[in-house]
Formats: sequence, structure tokens, C-alpha cells
Amino acid sequence: MPEPVIASVGASSLGRTDLPGRDLFSVALAEAFDGLPDPAELVEAMYVGNQSESYEHQIMYGTLLAEWAGLRHVPAERVEGCAAAGALALRHAVKDVRNGEHEAVLACGVEKMTSAGTSGATDALSAAFDRALEQRSGITAPSQYALLAKRYLHETDATERDLAEIAVKNHANAARNPRAQFPKEIDVATVLESAPIAPPLKLYDCAPVGDGAAVVLVTTAELAADLDCPQVRIAGTGASANNIAVAERDMTDIAGARIAAETAYEEAGIDAAAVDIAEVHDAFTVCEALLAEAAGFAPAGTGYQSYQAPAERADGWTDVQLSPSGGLKARGHPIGATGLLQALEAYEQLTGGAGDRAVEGAETALLLNEGGVADAVTVGHVLTTAEAP
Amino acid sequence: MTAGNLDATDSRTLPGFFDALADGDLLGGVCADCEQVLLPPRPACYACGSRAVDVEPQSREGRVFSYTEVHTPPPAFAADAPYTVAVVELTDGGRLLGRVAADYADVAIGDSVELTVREPTAAEREVALDYETDWPVHIFELR
Repeated sequence: MPEPVIASVGASSLGRTDLPGRDLFSVALAEAFDGLPDPAELVEAMYVGNQSESYEHQIMYGTLLAEWAGLRHVPAERVEGCAAAGALALRHAVKDVRNGEHEAVLACGVEKMTSAGTSGATDALSAAFDRALEQRSGITAPSQYALLAKRYLHETDATERDLAEIAVKNHANAARNPRAQFPKEIDVATVLESAPIAPPLKLYDCAPVGDGAAVVLVTTAELAADLDCPQVRIAGTGASANNIAVAERDMTDIAGARIAAETAYEEAGIDAAAVDIAEVHDAFTVCEALLAEAAGFAPAGTGYQSYQAPAERADGWTDVQLSPSGGLKARGHPIGATGLLQALEAYEQLTGGAGDRAVEGAETALLLNEGGVADAVTVGHVLTTAEAP
Repeated sequence: MTAGNLDATDSRTLPGFFDALADGDLLGGVCADCEQVLLPPRPACYACGSRAVDVEPQSREGRVFSYTEVHTPPPAFAADAPYTVAVVELTDGGRLLGRVAADYADVAIGDSVELTVREPTAAEREVALDYETDWPVHIFELR
């Protein structure tokens, strides 16, 4: 079975931009193919993660971006799974290369979230929740996650201050990431005193609305070597859906994420302790705590210690570093592109391209990308250096 | 019970569920194999995969499992904000999300609540899809 690798990555700038989605993609694609043959000479198929047609009144994103890449007549499709769309696109590319169908597949993600302001994004994102009972009750993304946060603070020793510290840590990481939407440090008081969005979550507990595109070129190891690309192995992938309504799930044991991570670990032949860095879906600060537990990094009820240095965390924690990119919180969260931005960060970390935010000695990365509230759908990937055992 | 002959009078469909709710009856699916309660009723149990799902009346009383207050509403509900929403664990075991007719500061986890049902307002009808226009709205009230 061919082993899929990431051969190249690229991204647009993130945040409020003056470019529509297809143009953001063109920027990301140009970075990914800098120094490589044109896409038409390599790429055999493409998948595009994209959350919502409401931002640009545009579906058919597979067709559109294939054309804009100069790739007419390849199989191309949009992949939908709210904020997990990007990792779902990556997973499809991985499977195509693994099963021998293609040697080079583009996994792309794009979102033009700022087109209709915050209320437009709020409305578009609310479509991810059960229509019949939840949308009609006026639920929103922040309030869904606030229900998890309220319960998490009730069941554990975590405090709002701990959640704020997660935001502070991720902003500090983003300050060293030239790709970040918010490359600046903040302090705990800034988080705690920020505007209430859905208590206990405040403005600075929430990932921002922003535009962005990302491209990940998945190839066979042989092709990446022929192209002389630094390569990262995609050693495992896993995915799981869970109830559409968060009310019907366990709200603090994020089962879908646990299954996605464990499936990816099993494929990679590792356990959680082998993971050096993890990009997890911190759309809201509480997510990082919940996902640290679901991924097996932290004993139940201690995931909120993710902001602490490994030696200071509770017994049973691994020494993983979470969200070195700054996470969704501060790197940015252009919905359909997010899963691929996570892969981009891991690629840079594992190929020596992470500059002064590099996590020393990192060889193995876990990516966890969620769509809908929490684990309505979760996709996990394990990435390793080419040299890792 | 099979789902092959589902029509809009069957309470395992949304029209059937909301018709009953409009009359004040909260119906749940109850898995004949593992007893999982499913709100609203549906043809298959998410917990065990069984398609042996019975439809049974559910208690409208329960306790607040988690709650929050929406400060940044979708445009359709802008005039209502801020409003309180909760996940409620009903006495018969099902869990349901809905608005709470109380200020956020007056709610706590574990509070007793009762589900009430009202007709949609003119504003709610305005933002409803055609087939949703007459569906009732459920609200939790503190007891």
C-alpha cells in the first residue's frame, strides 16, 4: 500500500481580507507550488473543504478551484462537515493515495467568512446545529460551546481563569507565527474582562471570524522524493460522527474525538504518549481542555492544564505541547481551511520550517479537527517525520 | 416497528412529533433493546443501532444539566437577546435543549424546570421555513 505524505503546503493571509475565496485559494496554491512543476503536471484529483455557500453564494467549489488551479477534467469536489471540512478533504486525499488510485491529490480549504459581518457568520454557523429543536431555540456556536464549558467547570476543578490561561498561551504561540491572524500576546485580565458572549465564555475565549485558504499536497513518498520536497508521513487517520444535538451526548467525555484520535494512533502504531505536538480544535478555550482529555494526553478533569509547562501538570499528563501555531484562537479559524492549517503547522514543525516557534525534537504530531458543536464530526490525523520509526 | 411506511402523521417524523407537541404531548423514542430515550423520536437508536424504537409520552419535568445566555444571537432572534438556553435532563432520562424563561442569573445547574409549549409568534413565523410555520415552540420554565 503506498504511503501518503505531505509534500508541500501553502496558505493565504488570514483574517479580514479584500480577496474572495477563489483568490485566497490562488494565493495559497502559489505558495504550495513555488519551485514545483505546475499543478496540471502533478495533481490527479482535488477535494475542497468549505463550510457554507451563504458567505459567497457559491457552491461547486471543487469545480471552481480545480479550474482556477489549471486542472480541468480531474475529479474535484467540495467536502462539507462544517469546521471539519478541511480535515475531511485531507482524509479523502490520504485514502486516494493509500489505495493507489492517485499519486498526487490536492486537499484544499477555503472560507470567506467576513462577507456578511459577524451576524452573517453567526447565522451561517448556526446551520451546523439541529434545525428542529436547537436552531429554533436561537442557539449559536458560542452558546453551544458555553453549554460544554459550563458543565466542564461544574464537573472539574477548572476555573474561568484556567480557560483564560489557555487563550493567553495560544496568543503567545501565535506571536511567533507569521501566519497568525492575531500575532500578539495578551494577558489573563484581557480575557477575563472581555465582553460576555455566552457565559462562561467571553470574547477572548472565542476563535475569531476570518477569511483564509490553505492547500496541502498529498503524494506518494516516492513522488515527494522525486520532487525533492521535504516530506511528512501521514501515518494514521480516523474519523467519527456523533449526535447532531449536543444535548444527547456526553458533554464532557468527547467520545467522537476520542475515537478519531485512537483510530489514527492505531493506524500509526503509536499511543498518545508518543505525540510531541498537537493541533487541536480550540474554537473556544474549553475545547483545548476537552480535547486534551479525549486525545489521551490528560487524565479526565485535568485537560484545562494544557497551558502549563509539562512538569507542572497533573500526574498522568503526557509532555505534549498543544497548539504551537496559536490554535484556532489566535492563528485563526477560516472554517473550511482550518483542518488544513493544522496540517500546515505540523508540516512546518516536523520539517524544520517553524522558525522560532519550533518545538524542539518534535517528530510526531496529532491533528484533531471538529465540525458542528464539539464532536458532531471529528477527524484525527497522525503525522510523523520521514525519519520517525 | 418498521419505518418503511413513515408518513407525516407518524411521530417518528418531525411533523408528527410537532403535531403531538402542539397538543401538549412530548413524545420520545424509547429503544426496545437498550431503553435509550431519543428526543425527538426517530427510526433508529443512536446508542445501540436498533431499529426497534417505540414512541412513548415523556415527562415534561426535568433538571437543568447546563445553561448559558446568548449575547450574540443569529439575526432571526436579535430582538430577543440576551436570552437563556439550557440543556435539560428530563425525569424520564432524555435530554433536550431549549430556551429558559428566566434570567441567566436566576438559573443554576440542577434547578427544576417544566417544559411548556406555545404557538410561534408572528416574528418566529416570519423566519420559519414553509413546513415549519405552525410548529410550536418549546420553553422551559423554572418550577
